[in-house]
Amino acid sequence: MSQLEQEIKTLIIESLGLEDMTPSDIDSQAVLFGDGLGLDSVDALELGLAIQKRYGIKIDAESKDTREHFRNVASLAAFVSQHRSA
Amino acid sequence: MLNFSIAAWQAWAPDIDTFDRWLLWAKGEVRAQNDYSAPKVDFLPAMQRRRLSPLARMAFHVGWPLAEGCEQLPLVFYSRHGETGRTAELLQCLANAEPLSPTQFGLSVHNAIIGQWSILRGETTEMTALSGGEDGFEQALIEAALLLQEHPQVLLIAAEEQPAPLYAAAIDDIPHAYALGLLLSRGSQCQLSWQATASSPAASLPNPLNWLRHWLLNTPAWQHHGTQRSWSWQCHRAQ
Repeated sequence: MSQLEQEIKTLIIESLGLEDMTPSDIDSQAVLFGDGLGLDSVDALELGLAIQKRYGIKIDAESKDTREHFRNVASLAAFVSQHRSA
Repeated sequence: MLNFSIAAWQAWAPDIDTFDRWLLWAKGEVRAQNDYSAPKVDFLPAMQRRRLSPLARMAFHVGWPLAEGCEQLPLVFYSRHGETGRTAELLQCLANAEPLSPTQFGLSVHNAIIGQWSILRGETTEMTALSGGEDGFEQALIEAALLLQEHPQVLLIAAEEQPAPLYAAAIDDIPHAYALGLLLSRGSQCQLSWQATASSPAASLPNPLNWLRHWLLNTPAWQHHGTQRSWSWQCHRAQ
């Protein structure tokens, strides 16, 4: 697991108040919303905000790509590493 | 004048969370801590309780056991100050020109707790969230007692969280976080009446806590004074 994936898992747990969970409970490939981790639309907004604050990335809520970026921890890590230094 | 009975009650404050502790508290032998602790509410799965604020946790902690086994139980939620912790954090973000947390924003309104109660309990009957002045507890009891005309039992929850430091100078009626849950039923254990009077010295405890103290001490009658009304309580626990 990459350092960034680990960091994002911690960010998910802290920003969404997932008590009793540790980063190792989250599979990098598991779907975040709906069936996988079971997050909902409010979580999506909250997580988007947390990513925005932490990495200074502007997220376009209307973009179709955003849905793909937020599919799982691995895709989020790829998205963040692509944009944060830009 | 209103008549009702107390079918059951629950209360919580930091370090005071059993009947025996509350009895000692009523006798002045122990005091609650004024810290920011909140009950765990671990009877709910972690994914369900994660958005509950300290205030919501206190409300759920006292209300949940009282509601067990009751279907279609109306709820009157009373808090004078509400979600001050969430509000303070939102204001801090605004002051720093930072974006607001959608969760904090959505759940900072006064009826957010009854909304979460409704979702988590699958409860669809009527619920009300009230605020009020120093005698808002009695106002909430009027609402709850009148609901008894249509329902055999009504749940009243009064709760206040330890205010954020930002509000310390403005809020002087929360000695410590507390929640009181009363399961009201039809009956005549308690009689509540009121009259318009000039302002009188305020009680040393907020009304919900003072009510509980008198209830535990079996005080037959006492008064709560407000700036516009005075409230006369008569209670007979054993009846």
